[in-house]
Amino acid sequence: MKKKTWIWVCVLVVLVALFALIYHFAKPKAQAGSKAITLTVVDDAGDEKVYNLKTDEEYLYDALKPVIDKGDLTIDAEESAYGLYIKGVNGLTADYDKDGAYWAIYVNGEYGQFGIESQPVADGDAYKLVYEKY
Amino acid sequence: MKEETSKFSVRDLALYGLLIAIMEVSKHALDFLPNVELISLLVILYTLHLGKRTLFLTLGFTLLEIFYWGPHTWVIMYLYVWPFLVFLTLQMKKHRDEKYDFLQFAVLSGLFGLFFGAMCSLVYLVIGGPRTALSWWVAGIPYDLIHAGANFVICLILFRPLDKLMGKVKWR
Repeated sequence: MKKKTWIWVCVLVVLVALFALIYHFAKPKAQAGSKAITLTVVDDAGDEKVYNLKTDEEYLYDALKPVIDKGDLTIDAEESAYGLYIKGVNGLTADYDKDGAYWAIYVNGEYGQFGIESQPVADGDAYKLVYEKY
Repeated sequence: MKEETSKFSVRDLALYGLLIAIMEVSKHALDFLPNVELISLLVILYTLHLGKRTLFLTLGFTLLEIFYWGPHTWVIMYLYVWPFLVFLTLQMKKHRDEKYDFLQFAVLSGLFGLFFGAMCSLVYLVIGGPRTALSWWVAGIPYDLIHAGANFVICLILFRPLDKLMGKVKWR
């Protein structure tokens, strides 16, 4: 039984390594070089503000920094164990505890799987920051 | 006249309420750490001592989570992942090795944590199709790795003392 248990420990270790490899090869890769992207901010009234950007950055938050620095876009975010958590955009704060509101990230029309700082940027991508309520 | 007997005594209900409360409190206490939780260990221990009745505890825990967070998609996941851990524990109980049980159940808990995202992605397979499920699973792999490591270590350290403690309780 002891031997069998240790075999299962080895199985766990091998599977952990396999999962890490799958992630390494299957995760969306950041694209180097110049990229043209759009960001649309949709507020609580459904009003949209569109930003057309050119960037050499590889991740969304870094790509947005020049616009943020210019003051055309404000993102109020805080560090969490899961990465940057967006609390407010352009002065509009989403308070989930109060009314179930949150800022959602959409990538090319699909619900984003990554946080704003870990979302890889690709040429032609269309991102949306949408104020939503649960 | 035959007296009607309930499957659950008042004592059972009070005890199960307490066990569910322990699950809920432990979850909130560790909420600040992504995918580090005691629920897997508790479900394994509850199953070893209470058997199939643990299914009621997992259901009670899921209902409490719905009351607290609202009916999100992960509630559907909770409805099958925790009962699946109960099933796996019951299977492993048949092959329990008293000397190395802490290692056996640590491996089970680790594997459960590792495949947690894959199991949960089944909901997205139904909602959004294979591509959505796959991208959701891949994006969450780093968290599954943390989940596996944390589950393994937590079970390795806490299984024996908690199992011994629970062995002293008269459950029925």
